Amino acid sequence: MNFLNYIIRRLLLLIVVLIGVTVVIFILMALFSPAQRASAFITDIKQFGDIDSIIRTYGLDKPVYIQYFNWLKQIFQGNFGWSTTVSRPVIDAFKFFFPNTLELALFSAPIIILVGIWIGSLSAVHRDKPVDHFTRVLAIVGWSLPTFWFGLILLMIFYGYFQGLFPPEALGYKAHTFVNSAEFVRYTRINSIDALLNGELWIFVDAIRHLVLPVITLTVVQIALVMRIMRSSMLEAMGKGYVLTARAKGAAWKTVIKKHARRNALIPVVTVSGWLFALMMAGVVITETIFNRKGLGWWWARAATQLDIPSVLMAVLFNGILFVVTNLIVDILYAYIDPRVRLG
Amino acid sequence: MGELILDISELKTNFYTYEGVVKAIDEISFSLEKGDTLGIVGETGCGKSVTVLSLLQLILPPGKIESGRIVYKANGKRINLLEQSEPFMRNVRGNEISMIFQEASSALNPVLNINTQVSESFLLHRQKELCESVLENLSERVDKSKRFSRLFLRCLNYRYKKKLRKAENNLLKHGHYGRLIKKDAKRLTIDLLASLGIPNPSEVIKRYPHELSGGMQQRVVISMALACNPNILIADEPTSNLDVTIQAQILDLIEKLKGEYKTSILFITHDLGVIAEIASKVIVLYAGALVEFAPVRELFKNPLHPYTKALLNSVPKLERRERLESIRGNVPNLVDPPAGCRFHPRCPGVMDICRSSKPEQIINRTHGGQVHSVACFLYRNTKAWYEN
Amino acid sequence: MFFLKKRRIVLSFEEHPRLKEVKFSLSKIIKNPLSIAGMSIIFLYLMIALLAPTIAPPKYEHEPFRIPHEGYSIIPEPPAPGHPFGTTTKQYDIFYGVIWGTRTAFRIGFMVVGSILVIGVVVGSISGYFGGIVDEVLMRIVDIFMSLPTLILAMAIVTALGRSLDNIMKSLIVVGWPIYARTIRGSILSIREEDFVEAAKALGANDFTVIFKHILPNAIYPVLILASLDIGAMVLTAAALSFLGLGAQEGYADWGQMVSLARNFIVGPPDQPLMYWYVVTIPGLFILFFVLGWNLLGDAFRDIFDPKLRRK
Repeated sequence: MNFLNYIIRRLLLLIVVLIGVTVVIFILMALFSPAQRASAFITDIKQFGDIDSIIRTYGLDKPVYIQYFNWLKQIFQGNFGWSTTVSRPVIDAFKFFFPNTLELALFSAPIIILVGIWIGSLSAVHRDKPVDHFTRVLAIVGWSLPTFWFGLILLMIFYGYFQGLFPPEALGYKAHTFVNSAEFVRYTRINSIDALLNGELWIFVDAIRHLVLPVITLTVVQIALVMRIMRSSMLEAMGKGYVLTARAKGAAWKTVIKKHARRNALIPVVTVSGWLFALMMAGVVITETIFNRKGLGWWWARAATQLDIPSVLMAVLFNGILFVVTNLIVDILYAYIDPRVRLG
Repeated sequence: MGELILDISELKTNFYTYEGVVKAIDEISFSLEKGDTLGIVGETGCGKSVTVLSLLQLILPPGKIESGRIVYKANGKRINLLEQSEPFMRNVRGNEISMIFQEASSALNPVLNINTQVSESFLLHRQKELCESVLENLSERVDKSKRFSRLFLRCLNYRYKKKLRKAENNLLKHGHYGRLIKKDAKRLTIDLLASLGIPNPSEVIKRYPHELSGGMQQRVVISMALACNPNILIADEPTSNLDVTIQAQILDLIEKLKGEYKTSILFITHDLGVIAEIASKVIVLYAGALVEFAPVRELFKNPLHPYTKALLNSVPKLERRERLESIRGNVPNLVDPPAGCRFHPRCPGVMDICRSSKPEQIINRTHGGQVHSVACFLYRNTKAWYEN
Repeated sequence: MFFLKKRRIVLSFEEHPRLKEVKFSLSKIIKNPLSIAGMSIIFLYLMIALLAPTIAPPKYEHEPFRIPHEGYSIIPEPPAPGHPFGTTTKQYDIFYGVIWGTRTAFRIGFMVVGSILVIGVVVGSISGYFGGIVDEVLMRIVDIFMSLPTLILAMAIVTALGRSLDNIMKSLIVVGWPIYARTIRGSILSIREEDFVEAAKALGANDFTVIFKHILPNAIYPVLILASLDIGAMVLTAAALSFLGLGAQEGYADWGQMVSLARNFIVGPPDQPLMYWYVVTIPGLFILFFVLGWNLLGDAFRDIFDPKLRRK
């Protein structure tokens, strides 16, 4: 019952944040001319000829708050407008681009969390040893790395020097044609998973080859971050009384680290992992642009440079929702790891 | 004189910090008799905890045990603990020598429940016994079972026995078998907590440390130390953060256990009242050096070292209504301790020799024939001793 | 009241405790190898920025940030006399670009972080000191800003304002202040309860004096650490936005844009795959080391000012 209460409260918070985000979006929109804003209300390419009537219908010359409610009403009706960059309604574009981004995130997130935690605790356990110094330098360099440049350097080496070992884009030409043919059933629209479900191993291999560089680019900065948080919280946990107690009980150092220190050290990592997802979406924009991988990030980056307002607004809204939802999950995880935290 | 169970000589531990080498304890020697309670007294930061942590080799870098001998005598064998390997020490810790820590709230892991933490001791040191009892249970089940299932259970039993032989080292990893052992360890845990006077133990073990009161937490910490019936129990200020009533209960508990299990106890405290109640002999530490050793009554009646005297004078007494004295000066910085006697800058009876050379332990016997030793130049000739 | 006066005279002979603390911190900073490395890197960049007109004399007197270019050939040229780092696409001189780009980077870093520091401190102080409904409203605004990734929100704002380097800076200011406000609020809340603040209030100090004289000097450290770490991060985000094509017009001396110009020349012809390495590598390394310098310094600051690690 407590738990249900908690979920309800979090969902209410979600609504507050979303209203806030939409207000921010709307303030942004107010900076555009009425004609530019009218594109947010277009659902079909044919309507472009009649901008003036759209301005009149939706009251884009009316007071700001009326415009806001009109816009909100449209959003609730599922009308996100027309994306000029990809020439189709925003909602369709989203459905089209989302699977590619999800695939990237699905492969990156476990690597970030597992590798980050692993290296971070390794560094803490071997404090002031060569391993520790090395990982600390690596962390600070990783954190200073310009993602867009790093991706290009990776391409230079693994696509140029090694003659197309790990190519850009989401799929090779042959695989791309096959995937879009009638023989291939698109269950999830995620290339690698669909390839397995269809039993086409060569497409799966192709998809993985195309994933390697984007995943490296996306993970390297965030691994540095997780590693650093894990290291410091692990060091803190290792100095605690319960670690001494466990050692005095006769437990081996390894057991003490695994059973007693690590779980406590994970608490701060869990706290930031919601934020990590937000950071990841920012990384996705850059990564997909570099590797020309047609996903949400690629779309948003193009939309931003081509003044495609509805798509950019979609980006902001999506990230707002993502943030609140991931934080809800993080809170539940948090309560699971730390018994002192009771939901409710 | 009783049989010695622990004999520590010239133990020296340093900490290598940024500011320099902290000489935390400097060539301390003392011994513990079997079934006896030895109190260790001193101000905060005088090296009480470091001494006992060195004893169990729980000192972590930047700390290092420099030299000394810790002779532990059990089952007729004499072992120098400092020469033993880490796996050997692991078997000693918690099993033969165990420790109660001062702050129960920080000594318990907040994310693990009481059962996991207490039964860990059994799982670490009583694996063989647990295995045997589990196997016994299984055999009983075979005997009681109906004929048609007997064969099946016998097969199962055979498999377990095989596994037991195969996996002497790490039994817990073996799925179902590990679960049975854990269940048995849980039973032992409940029994243990019940014997320590914890009400409703089967309910308590499911809880987490923050759900228990301070006194209850301390009992759990004690139960972890007593799980394997250790020969020596080290209590590091077990009562310092508790209410007076709970403090009394815990002390009673330790007394009772001492009587029951014939455990030898090293009791660390800065509270002289507690020492008077529980210990039979006392050593006094000052700034990492041992200044005085005496039976408890003798120490209170006839303190010799100027520091001990000052320490006793700073305790309020009911029968004497006089001003409490404080010891002038501060505890020295152990990075650069005073040369000679470490107490000389604060000593009222300081002499020239105290500034240059380190005093030896001067041993004498009281009228009852008990040992009373002091490290002070004031007692170089025994004459001064009796004049005091 | 004579004894109060007397005491003040005695105090003035002693070193001010805050000064003592700063001295201690400085001695720690000078001893820390990481902070020395960071400071050397930043010093080097500072020299490059200051001496830019001497190292790379501008071709257009009134627009020193415009990179000179000879011809319009799309193919980059390798390093040669006159072009020590070669030329990028459309024959922009890479050497000139990275040298003057240093000035751009410093401008972005200092302007953005300076502005958000001021805004963040003012908002955070108001929120933390007055509490109540003011605090509630301000913090909910902070929540909303912090629920969006920096890059994406900044991208949206630049789209709305129009593409230019100045707008990138404005958007980063809009996106950056909330975390400063929250940090300073947090430290003010903990300090507000301390005795010396109560004492100052009891002596009749007004709100302004209490905030600026008693609370802020004690609450500012975490924010300063954040700022030193943020200069690198903000330059990095600005470079990323430039890279996406939201920055200055083509040919402006800006590292992010130079990487972006090189995008089509990552891979050379099959027989010489690394032929155009200089086009992308050089501006990127300039960004990397600039950010690294600030991060090293910020990291050292954090270790030094962290009360948990301090005086170990």
